[in-house]
Amino acid sequence: MAFIDARQIPDGTELTPDLAIIGGGPAGITLALALANTPIKMLLLESGGVEFDAATQALYAGEESGVRYIPLDATRLRYLGGGTNHWGGWSRPLDRIDFERRDWLPFSGWPFPREEIEPYFARAQHLIEAGPFLYDKLANGVLPGPLLPLGKGGLYNSFFQFSQWHGNPQHLPTAFGHRYSEQLKRIPNLQLMLHANVTGLRLAKDVRWLDHLDVATLSGRKFTVKPRHTVLACGGIENARLLLASNDVIAAGVGNENDLVGRYFADHAIPRDNATVVVFGGEIAGYYKTTKDAQGAHFRATISPTEAFRRDRQLLGALITVEQHVGLDALGQAAVETASGALGINASEAHAYSLGVGLELTPDPDRRVMLTSARDALGMPRLKLSMTIADDDLARYREVLNELGRQLLASKTGMLRIDRHSRADWLSVMDWGNHHLGTTRMHDDAKQGVVDANSQVHGLANLFVAGSSVFPTYSASNPTLNLVALTLRLADHLKGVFR
Amino acid sequence: MNRTRRNVIAGASIAVLAAAGLGYEGWRHLAKGYPPTPYDDLLSLLPDREPAKQVGRAFLTANSGFVPARAAGALRQRIAGRPLSTVLQDELAQGDIIEAGHWLLPQTLVGLCALAAKS
Repeated sequence: MAFIDARQIPDGTELTPDLAIIGGGPAGITLALALANTPIKMLLLESGGVEFDAATQALYAGEESGVRYIPLDATRLRYLGGGTNHWGGWSRPLDRIDFERRDWLPFSGWPFPREEIEPYFARAQHLIEAGPFLYDKLANGVLPGPLLPLGKGGLYNSFFQFSQWHGNPQHLPTAFGHRYSEQLKRIPNLQLMLHANVTGLRLAKDVRWLDHLDVATLSGRKFTVKPRHTVLACGGIENARLLLASNDVIAAGVGNENDLVGRYFADHAIPRDNATVVVFGGEIAGYYKTTKDAQGAHFRATISPTEAFRRDRQLLGALITVEQHVGLDALGQAAVETASGALGINASEAHAYSLGVGLELTPDPDRRVMLTSARDALGMPRLKLSMTIADDDLARYREVLNELGRQLLASKTGMLRIDRHSRADWLSVMDWGNHHLGTTRMHDDAKQGVVDANSQVHGLANLFVAGSSVFPTYSASNPTLNLVALTLRLADHLKGVFR
Repeated sequence: MNRTRRNVIAGASIAVLAAAGLGYEGWRHLAKGYPPTPYDDLLSLLPDREPAKQVGRAFLTANSGFVPARAAGALRQRIAGRPLSTVLQDELAQGDIIEAGHWLLPQTLVGLCALAAKS
């Protein structure tokens, strides 16, 4: 069925699907695909069209305070496909430790272990088009160049795989909106409505049931959707906004009786050029610096702490990338000459590179999005993001770098210089992953989480949340593969709910 | 030529080569202009004292409390006549690394570099 334009829906209409999916990003589209050809009548409501539109995008504008972050209307995209319209395709599954409750990491732990979403990784991998599900197993096969010998220690060679949009001439990552639009149109039990902005989640009087959704268009149309069940899939920032702004019955907002919605926001911190690595034996294999193809996968090597090392030293996830070739100053050359000479290594062909990293942050209730008094074109309250990063998180990464430096020397592979020192220094090179995590965190206990292990909002039988906003602890891995897997799991749960 | 005479010639040749080698090392040492120091037994372990001095100076910038005599005592105890590379590998295995000019290096190597910078 062709996509429906919400601007053509008469004012006052009431639509009654079985399931409303709010948001046509990777989570919403995955859910629609996964529930195709079931008896569940779905209505997917997407705020944007099939292409970028400035007026719709402007609905995302907001304020920020604290640590410098990306403007809220630049860190996400509001049209069909959502974040996959500008993602880099970086993919990697969460590690087992990411699901564990760790006494030394406040607010850590998922309500289930990794095994719970493992069965969904293969299908998620297929949907993001990242080739065979290999990741760290790539190390066991043939690679175009040698692995960096790291010897024994806390860090190991690990791998990203990359989404590659099938048939795309520019080899871009899979943009879900464009890639799956024809497939979505062919789903008989799906209506996909564009330019449809949900402006309110309206509760029934007993506050245990979501009664209906208010929908508005930028052209001024207003109508309601009264679904049996609803899945909120607007992304890690907007999910919280819609819950908080729906405050006509519960003043704190839907699902926010325990003041958790919008808190624990996280992204992956990406301090650029944070260290310099010298490889004594010559140029590092190209797949550390850029993507290459092997074993059917489009991949890039990274260096990361092992789970055992993270447990032992109480460290967070870190995925270190080799960035650019750099020159060494006189001190650097002297250090290389001295260290290599003392260890009896020929470093005459040594090459130096800058390092980047994607860092996991400690969950922090004060890193949060809140409503402001400002309103957007639809009358919705805008958001303010209060961004933080703990000194401990930077210190933990320094420990990872220390171990890498030790391993490089011990294995006579190379050496390392840490290039960032004070907090101001780290923040001056800080970039972010545009990965919006944690604002509707998952926990079995309603006092500690917005949704339960099935992604159902605590206390509301017919409202679910999909996407990385439910991640209670974040990992350093990029979220798309993982949120798609989690959404496939939610789809299975919903099939049971509707049975 | 009988076996004894051949042995004498071979021995003499080795002695001449060794003397020449020592002479070259002595000349190289003098040519770089290093005056004798109380730590020459330690400094001679460094592959090249000039770059080591640079590393040592970088370390001393952030570690003004470095006392050469005390450090030398600790280094001798730590090295205990073993080859430097063995000492360094042991330290790396134990995680005894420190920063010099933000480069991560084995502790003993940095100590030797700092001594070189102070000498």
